[in-house]
Amino acid sequence: MRVASHSHRLDGSAGGCGTVNGAQTAWDLLHEEAMFPRITTSCEDLDNILGGGINCKEVTEIGGVPGIGKTQLGIQLAINVQIPVDYGGLGGKAIYIDTEGSFMVERALQIAEACIEDMSECGGLLRKDFQAFQLKMHPNNILENIFYFRVCSYTEQIALINYLDKFISEHKDVKIVIVDSVTFHFRQDFDDLALRTRLLSGMALKLMKLAKDFSLVVVLLNQVTTKYIDGSFQLTLALGDSWSHSCTNRVILYWNGNERYAYIDKSPSLRSASAPYSVTSKGIRNSASNCKRIKSGVVHLVISRVGHG
Amino acid sequence: MAPLKSLEQEYPILDSNFQSFCASHDIFSVEDLLLHDLYVLAAFAEQESSSERLKQGIAQVLSIIDGQHQPWLNGIELLEDAQRNKHVLSTGCEGIDLLLHGGLRVGQLTELVGPSSSGKTQVCLLAASNVAKKHIGSVVYLDTGNSFSPQRVTQFICQHSDPAIDQAKHRTLQKVMNNISCKSVFDIFTMFDVLHQLEFNLRSQMQGGDCKVQLLIVDSVSSMVTPILGGSGSQGHALMISAGYLLKKLAHEHNIAVLVTNHTVGGDGGISKPALGESWKSIPHVRLLLSCDHGGSICNVSILKHPSMAVGKAARFMIHN
Repeated sequence: MRVASHSHRLDGSAGGCGTVNGAQTAWDLLHEEAMFPRITTSCEDLDNILGGGINCKEVTEIGGVPGIGKTQLGIQLAINVQIPVDYGGLGGKAIYIDTEGSFMVERALQIAEACIEDMSECGGLLRKDFQAFQLKMHPNNILENIFYFRVCSYTEQIALINYLDKFISEHKDVKIVIVDSVTFHFRQDFDDLALRTRLLSGMALKLMKLAKDFSLVVVLLNQVTTKYIDGSFQLTLALGDSWSHSCTNRVILYWNGNERYAYIDKSPSLRSASAPYSVTSKGIRNSASNCKRIKSGVVHLVISRVGHG
Repeated sequence: MAPLKSLEQEYPILDSNFQSFCASHDIFSVEDLLLHDLYVLAAFAEQESSSERLKQGIAQVLSIIDGQHQPWLNGIELLEDAQRNKHVLSTGCEGIDLLLHGGLRVGQLTELVGPSSSGKTQVCLLAASNVAKKHIGSVVYLDTGNSFSPQRVTQFICQHSDPAIDQAKHRTLQKVMNNISCKSVFDIFTMFDVLHQLEFNLRSQMQGGDCKVQLLIVDSVSSMVTPILGGSGSQGHALMISAGYLLKKLAHEHNIAVLVTNHTVGGDGGISKPALGESWKSIPHVRLLLSCDHGGSICNVSILKHPSMAVGKAARFMIHN
């Protein structure tokens, strides 16, 4: 008993009145939040409902029916994280964990080229040093900064998530982790559902810890399933009720007629809202029918970020 | 159990003479002493030369043991304690306050259960802002899902005030926000660590003034317990129950209201039930079920368990944006 209380005393004096060691006050957290910019999705409407983009230190789950553009959004984010700080981005690298084999390098190259084009366009607008910029940002550089992992079973997936801690400590400029999709290896042939729940909630906690400790953006892409609720079959995200509590934010992508829409289903600070978006040859962009003039995501981002200092 | 000789340093009366007397009766540790018939031991002590010291030694060990548990209280003392210390903290949400006859009761563990996006975190943030602002007490917020949003807390604090920002307002906001401390915990062992630290800090510090911890929020306790519950061993189950008891102990001994959140899982016939199972059901004093209309801002709350109110009583409330 004496040894136990002695070790508590060694842990250092309590900061402030009876508070917990290592805790931060809400005031400090408020100011810290301002220091971490969000990652743009290149679609202005989508960024608006997200409060500027996908937030750091949080786990965001994005789910939708096949073909709605989840992987497209994942690739877009892996590229947008690399937008240099001068242009209002994070200037970081990306980790892309592919469980289904849906990552297409050619598509990533196409999106990277479009992103650079957009940046040069606004580089011209702001009269930045064009030459230096062109030398630095080449589509190959962008592809180099995406760390790609392919996992083929759930044990590999869990092992990789456990390993990420060490990997990210060695590669401090990684700013986003995308898992596409987090569901795949847990859906089929899983006999012991109780084990599945335990593994998934453990994995969710580890991802939360990664997001918090390294100030990362974590994006998990999820599939949908049908569920019998209130007398009818409805589409819900896969992996069940316990998993739905394992993310900080949730965005659901769905079809509305011929248009793709995104809906904020869960967030501690954002209002529930929908916004349309489209998948073009340049990547994720504003829905064509919605905007009067087509303004690319990067231009909007730069003007709003740099303008406000 | 502690061997008797380890107590010698602090209590010199338990010297080697006492220890050898005890050893001659096969008593080497505190446990042995408790198991032994004390009247018989005292009678043997009478026959020794240093009988007074030996009997004092026995009395000393018994008083050390007595100090390890809470003092006995009778009904009147409990009532006085309840009236003086165990007041009610308003959550800031009228519907819930009306339902609970005032709000969260200090000394009790209140649980919010609900499906995803039913407003549990919002109620926690609102309660934290309200207690920090109105009750002049501090709030400890343990967050497992990175859901603590300081912006939202700011919105709640500035809700009923004049929107014009000036120096005094800024300073008040800072003071109120400084009363809320937030720590991210991602596994149950860290939570135990944090709670033990908190207990130690509360015990060793002078209570009073602005700094008194009034509210402890754990959002959510189910995310920490689900990875370890079930499976082949029963350690997860034991850890969950100990965590519950530790929270209740903190609540009662240090006059704190504890608020935890839990999620729901599918049950028989497709009806959802609270997670964490049957054993956890008896741990919280008050259990409230939250549900929200999809996309709407009106939420329903109903009582699942309460020490003094009927189950099924419900209310509606709205969280303003």
